Amino acid sequence: MAEHTTFKVFRYNPETDSKPYFQSYQVPLQGGKTVLDGLNEIKGQQDGTLTYRMSCRSAICGSCGMVVNGHSKLVCRLQIAEVLKNFDEVVIEPMRNFEVIRDLVVNMDRFWDKMDKVTPWLVADEENVPATERLQSPADFNVIRDASSCIMCGVCLSDCTSLEVDSNFLGPAALAKAFRMAADSRSVDREERLLELSKEGGVWDCARCYECVQVCPKYVAPMETIMKLREMTLKADLVDNRGTRHVEHFTELVLDSGILDERRLPMKTVGLTDLKGMLHMAPTGLRMMLKGKMPLIHPHIKDVDELQRIAHKVEESK
Amino acid sequence: MRVHDVVVVGSGLAGMEAALRASQDGELDVAIVSKVFPTRSHSGAAQGGIACAIGNQDPEDNWEVHMFDTVKGGDYLVDQDAAELMCKKAPEIIYELEHMGLVFNRLPDGRMAQRSFGGHSKPRACFAADWTGHAILHTLFEIVLKRKVKVYSEWYVTSLIVRDHTCHGVVAYDIMRGALEVFKARAVIFCTGGYGRAYKITSNAHANTGDGLSIAYRAGIPLEDMEFVQFHPTGLYGSGILLTEGARGEGAYLLNNDGERFMKKYAPERMELGPRDIVARAEQQEIDEGRGINGKTCVNVDIRHLGKERIMERLPQVRDLAWDFLGLDCFSECIPIQPTAHYSMGGIPVNLDCECVIDDKGTKIDGFYAAGECSCVSVHGANRLGTNSLLEACAMGAIAGTSAAKYAKSAPDLSLPDDADVEAKREIDWLLNARGSVKIADLGDELQRTMMDDCGVFRTEAQLKRQYDVVKNLQQRFQSIGLSDRSKTFNTELLGALELSHLLDFAEVIVLGALNRTESRGGHSRKDHPKRDDANWLKHTLAYKDVDGPRFAYKPVTITRFQPQERKY
Amino acid sequence: MKYAFFPGCVAKQTCPELYHSTKKVAQALNIDLVELENAACSGAGVVSQQNEALSDALNARTFAMAEKQALPIMTICSTCQGAFCRANKRLRQEPYRDKINGYLSGNGKNEGGYKGTTKIKHFLWALVEDLGIEELKKRVKRPLRNLKVASFYGCHLLRPSDALGFDNPDNPTSLEKVIDALGAEPVDYDGRTRCCGFPILLENENASMAMVSKHTLEAKEKGSDCMVTPCPLCHLNLDVQQPNAEKIARQKIGLPVLHLPQLVGLALGFSEHEMGLHKHIVPTGRVVEKAIGS
Ligand SMILES: Cc1cc2nc3c(=O)[nH]c(=O)nc-3n(C[C@H](O)[C@H](O)[C@H](O)COP(=O)(O)OP(=O)(O)OC[C@H]3O[C@@H](n4cnc5c(N)ncnc54)[C@H](O)[C@@H]3O)c2cc1C
Ligand code: SF4
Ligand code: SF4
Ligand code: FES
Repeated sequence: MAEHTTFKVFRYNPETDSKPYFQSYQVPLQGGKTVLDGLNEIKGQQDGTLTYRMSCRSAICGSCGMVVNGHSKLVCRLQIAEVLKNFDEVVIEPMRNFEVIRDLVVNMDRFWDKMDKVTPWLVADEENVPATERLQSPADFNVIRDASSCIMCGVCLSDCTSLEVDSNFLGPAALAKAFRMAADSRSVDREERLLELSKEGGVWDCARCYECVQVCPKYVAPMETIMKLREMTLKADLVDNRGTRHVEHFTELVLDSGILDERRLPMKTVGLTDLKGMLHMAPTGLRMMLKGKMPLIHPHIKDVDELQRIAHKVEESK
Repeated sequence: MRVHDVVVVGSGLAGMEAALRASQDGELDVAIVSKVFPTRSHSGAAQGGIACAIGNQDPEDNWEVHMFDTVKGGDYLVDQDAAELMCKKAPEIIYELEHMGLVFNRLPDGRMAQRSFGGHSKPRACFAADWTGHAILHTLFEIVLKRKVKVYSEWYVTSLIVRDHTCHGVVAYDIMRGALEVFKARAVIFCTGGYGRAYKITSNAHANTGDGLSIAYRAGIPLEDMEFVQFHPTGLYGSGILLTEGARGEGAYLLNNDGERFMKKYAPERMELGPRDIVARAEQQEIDEGRGINGKTCVNVDIRHLGKERIMERLPQVRDLAWDFLGLDCFSECIPIQPTAHYSMGGIPVNLDCECVIDDKGTKIDGFYAAGECSCVSVHGANRLGTNSLLEACAMGAIAGTSAAKYAKSAPDLSLPDDADVEAKREIDWLLNARGSVKIADLGDELQRTMMDDCGVFRTEAQLKRQYDVVKNLQQRFQSIGLSDRSKTFNTELLGALELSHLLDFAEVIVLGALNRTESRGGHSRKDHPKRDDANWLKHTLAYKDVDGPRFAYKPVTITRFQPQERKY
Repeated sequence: MKYAFFPGCVAKQTCPELYHSTKKVAQALNIDLVELENAACSGAGVVSQQNEALSDALNARTFAMAEKQALPIMTICSTCQGAFCRANKRLRQEPYRDKINGYLSGNGKNEGGYKGTTKIKHFLWALVEDLGIEELKKRVKRPLRNLKVASFYGCHLLRPSDALGFDNPDNPTSLEKVIDALGAEPVDYDGRTRCCGFPILLENENASMAMVSKHTLEAKEKGSDCMVTPCPLCHLNLDVQQPNAEKIARQKIGLPVLHLPQLVGLALGFSEHEMGLHKHIVPTGRVVEKAIGS
């Protein structure tokens, strides 16, 4: 192992730089050091102008989210040695999907704006407030426990693929917060929340890319909470939109033949009554047909009955 | 200039509780000013729990037992009227938090679960896994959002405007824009947290530089009991990052190099559950006498016997910390630990209404309040019990908010002194133009190392004298520092220098306070004066800033219910 | 090398070229594929949104089929692989598996239920792990020397890594290794581990198309002649929807997107027709020319 590690760091000072650039530093490498230790070493000994946020250095304050070699991390809990297992140098950039203020510091307003949109507090029965605590079973506590561990670091937003292309998307952290509130056994506004979250930019706009689950430094697993919100919405039978239809018909079609019917699913999802939607899909369908991508007869597995029997048993056990 | 009725400095548990109380009836314009975003405050790092004698786990528990434990734990330097107030107020505070939406572990019957904690004779720590502080911090922040309390995030308060024993507001520096502004307020509440960063091995965040203390000190306000610094027994070896005391609460063992549960020599009854100061000293003694693990400055904490399931359920963060920061698997390996500077018992002297009082006659600074770790009321005395400081931050924060609001409603509207921000401007200009050759990182490092060595778990006269010289020398060298960053945008180097200057100011107070106090009590342990000396030292230290260093005075301890006894566990 | 082969729904319908190229390539590499003809759709992480237990029960049924034959499952779809791995992770926990087995039992068809032992491998992993890169190199008849290939992994083959556990999600290397073994040159670009946008095609078409254009254009800019993907759903978005993405991006893209077995097949000497390249929406002529002309 080399005695020094190269840190290649994104630099940008709006007062002096017309555009961002990368600057390399050599950081003496010692065992057990984190990427944050490396940055502190640079700032203290080599370059006092290097700018970044940090505080707790123990992965709890959520200050130090950055992009390291392509993915977002808390640098305080990232061992340099861990990075070097996969890369030759440590490349550090500010979080994506946020405006850069200076060097590795980004403007977090976007994060809080999204948070604001999901009513990020518990709405409970304010009429009958008990003298002591409201009761909550350990099982109900467990439902919201992991989602409550969010430290608002923004790392998930930085890597969110939907947000990258659709600024309207509420994003993983806010949706996880929404789940934590909606799923709380003490809440009284679950349905309103679910309805609100089914609007544009809400739970049905998540691309299910698992980036947020992968990068979240806590136990939130934001996408899993989004999927749970979807499940809650379907169960409550609250909305009928492309998202809900997609899931419902998907399941139905699988149980129908064992193999998902790819011709019928889009039609059912868009809705046969949505003429405009249907017409919109027509050219693509035609192109596919011409290329032999649309089988005329839908295949099916032998034991379709068996699937239905299992589905029935699952349904019964509820 | 910005004008508010009440300005709260700090947005940890104390700050947010204060702001929520002060803004409760909607009559006052309340603002929070904080150098970090509220949820980044160090309160979020608190792991183990918050004390509250609601008796969910043990119906025998009540506020009086809690108070006794607190007084005894504090080695009788506790002001007992304050401890009584806090312990009585605890249930109200906890239930209120629960109603706000707090996510806490539960008993099978749905009430909040409670667990044991060092120094408490009953299981009375309410908790959320091992992120209790985080749970409370975020719940309070949710309500701050709900109430739309104005928050100035990433604004660094540089000075307090006090004239003729009256507070007029603060001066603060907007980190994002690099602009200095005056905040005029009828009441100011300091909730600026602790000063662990004076030490090399510390559980505290980089932001815990005790700014609020020296800001007050520079404004003519004395600091109380600064020599009492708590060392937590379970800091990760090398960094001091905290391993929750919850681990010991759940049954962890402490082992020396011989694999011996050494606490049997120091606290035979309570063993690992003895109070922090005793456990930390036991560890230091083991280390000093050569029984550290492989001769290093650490001992082992062992939780393997708890089993994976229990660890995952109750101590998930312990597993993560061991893995992320030491690369250890706590299911199968011991975790090396050492005493780590953790909590500052000392602070800005306040009375039961959180009003700042500057002497033993009850002289106040009108309109200036303090709560939480930066204050000294003193509920912790010479040593704080685990889980009592979250309670203090919440309970006293709430009280500060209420009393500041009451004052602000009737206070006269005073005109600001013309020179309100002159000193702050001078300080920042000087730093931005500091072109010397001394690096602030080097000074900080030297301060922290030497404080650890010579003003740490154990102290002697010789060490403290040496350390006083070191601090003086560092203060001098600070005059020759050089900064390279002259930008207005997010100048963190400038902030680092401001913070260092604060550390250097109050480190002197810690060292001299410790040198004067020729006894051992709670967190202050003099090897050359190993006994508690109630005849001479059952009193609080007050340190005033004078031309060439602190001037010391003392004030009596309030004793109501419990007469001092020997402290045994 | 013998596997219980799970082709997935797409290879049987809208991407028949994937199914046929896989069979041919497997044969050429002496990989024995026993097709799980009676297995149901993996649920693709969609059925589980409605009912996770149902989704896991259907998959446990499939895993049990392979378990009975003592064969690992081979998939050719990142999405199926992801859904399977996540289900398999849950099913490794005994109390949960017992519950799911309860749903399977009743008529003797799934006797004994699923015991939790089935290994599931994507074709890509089988190439790297079971066949081996060196061996693959040896089998190459026509190195794709002039070809610059951008890999596109597909989310579900990488994340969450605690369920997938093959490539490092920050810096996966298996596709690049295969591309390199085939004699072509892998192109490094940010988009290779990102999302193709297929899951939100119908819910948020603009966003979905923005993903397609972003990644294809980036790959093109870095000099790629084509993309290769181990996921037919990525293919559906990146290839079939590319004309729609062009409309929204207001520029031509024209980047061919190959299924992994097709790329392997070209290097093994199969013709473009044998690999079904004529079934693509974006013309593949230039790729073939470069590959075969080399
Ligand atoms: C690792 C760890 C674990 C702990 N665990 C427990 C536990 O389990 N139970 C328990 O009871 N206690 C625990 N404690 C102690 C407890 O967390 C703290 O004492 C308590 O949270 C302090 O709260 P606070 O509101 O006073 O200060 P903090 O939460 O530290 O907040 C200080 C605030 O002041 C602001 N500030 C400071 N200086 C300035 C300035 N110059 N300008 C503007 N703003 C400023 C900061 O931005 C911050 O918002 C723990 C402490 C640590 C370090
Ligand atoms: S899974 Fe959904 S929320 Fe998470 S990063 Fe991907 S698109 Fe964003
Ligand atoms: S969900 Fe995870 S990654 Fe996202 S903000 Fe919260 S802690 Fe950070
Ligand atoms: S410094 Fe607090 S999360 Fe990294």
